[in-house]
Amino acid sequence: MPIIEMRNVNKWFGALHVLKDINLDVQKGEVVVVIGPSGSGKSTLIRTINALEPIQKGKILVDGIDISKPKNIDEVRKEVGMVFQSFNLFPHMTVLENVSLAPRIVRKWPREKAEQIAMELLERVDIADQAEKYPAQLSGGQQQRVAIARALAMQPKIMLFDEPTSALDPEMVGEVLDAMKELARSGMTMLVVTHEMGFAREVADRVIFMDMGEIIEEGEPDQVFSNPQHERTKSFLARIIH
Amino acid sequence: MNKLLKMVTLTAIAVAAIVVGYYVFFAGIEAALRWYFLATKFTASKVPNFAHNLRSGAEVTIKLTVISSITGLFLGLIAGISRLSKNPLFRWPAQFYVWVIRGTPLLVQILFAYNALPFLLNPIWKFLESLGVPPIQDVLTPYWAAFIALSVNVGAYNAEVIRAGIQAIAKGQWEAAMSLGMSPFQVMRYIIVPQAIKIVVPPLVNNVIALLKDSSLASVITLLELVHHGQRMISITFRPVEVYIAVAAIYLILTTVLTFFTDWLERELARRGAVA
Repeated sequence: MPIIEMRNVNKWFGALHVLKDINLDVQKGEVVVVIGPSGSGKSTLIRTINALEPIQKGKILVDGIDISKPKNIDEVRKEVGMVFQSFNLFPHMTVLENVSLAPRIVRKWPREKAEQIAMELLERVDIADQAEKYPAQLSGGQQQRVAIARALAMQPKIMLFDEPTSALDPEMVGEVLDAMKELARSGMTMLVVTHEMGFAREVADRVIFMDMGEIIEEGEPDQVFSNPQHERTKSFLARIIH
Repeated sequence: MNKLLKMVTLTAIAVAAIVVGYYVFFAGIEAALRWYFLATKFTASKVPNFAHNLRSGAEVTIKLTVISSITGLFLGLIAGISRLSKNPLFRWPAQFYVWVIRGTPLLVQILFAYNALPFLLNPIWKFLESLGVPPIQDVLTPYWAAFIALSVNVGAYNAEVIRAGIQAIAKGQWEAAMSLGMSPFQVMRYIIVPQAIKIVVPPLVNNVIALLKDSSLASVITLLELVHHGQRMISITFRPVEVYIAVAAIYLILTTVLTFFTDWLERELARRGAVA
């Protein structure tokens, strides 16, 4: 059974039809990269999976749980971690507090356990030495690695990444991608919206190309990048690969 | 554990400093008043009494301001957050509260609390009295009537400040917190309110300073605060110029001290965790 099932998902922003009959299955442990021009609906797509964006038609099952029912939303959000383009760390908390807060108050872990696991995760994204600092004291790349650790602290089954490197200075992109690659290798189910084609080639099991709210084409990275079938995919790739 | 001990010690020191500071401050006010009234040739034998009365009036003013501010802060928090609620059962009463209080004069609210509230509460109070609660005239003294009116009044203004402060927090903070599975209440409690505090402290303090000055209106319900003591003194001495200058000077000192305190508080809040 797929861990994410999207069936005929439709979403409108007012009159704008932003997701058109999306059908998508993601298997456990799969790494799916979503590419496409801006405004194609790719961010909206992954934001529907943890109900940050409500859908108007269709059905989404996450780990078998139907998220269209409001009472299920909190349950699903505990299982789905999310990393944002603009990090969205909590600026009034230290790095350690950022990572340990949700496990403490949502999972109801005692502080020691939450902080111990938070430290292990900070170790894992190679930023444990900054645990007592505030987000504003860190570089963008460091902040995004903290954001990854924060999402992982809830021990999610799925991780969503919404353009995680787009707001970073070029020299910091690598460190964030490295953390994501390590996560992919550990067997995490990941949905990643990104323009990093190198990352997609290296770790993605599948690449999805979206345009105008539709899934135009999908397949293994080599196939999509080297031998795109669809005209719109070709022209998009021609524009981003120099 | 060590951290807790440190916090308790620091709190104890802070409380001791405030208590000592309070007595030193008002002793200083009284000494200055004595010097001033002697210098302006008031009857020497009466000067200690005058100085003492004005000092106790100033103390009533500051105490009333402090407890009304704290209560008004909680009222403002509840009403400000309720105004943002999607649920009309929360939103409408909060809107009504802010609308009525901001649209009517504080003087009327103070008079209402002292003169009209006892009548309104009478049926309930009759029942409470049978349970051994003292009569309402003994409970709703000028002091507590002023406290109710001032708290409710500043609460409405605080609600608007707090609503704006919450709305100023970026949407991404909500999204990040919700994506971690926090309930709306937890998002408020742990993420939004602590950040909004930094935004709302300066305007909230402005409200406190306004409240300190507005508390003088409680003199109309015979509360012996600073202005009322001053008026009594004038009726004895017939020297409004010197007395009102003294009264105004005390207000000026109190508001200046408050401004210094809040400047410090603002710096302190900014220091702890840079604002994004």
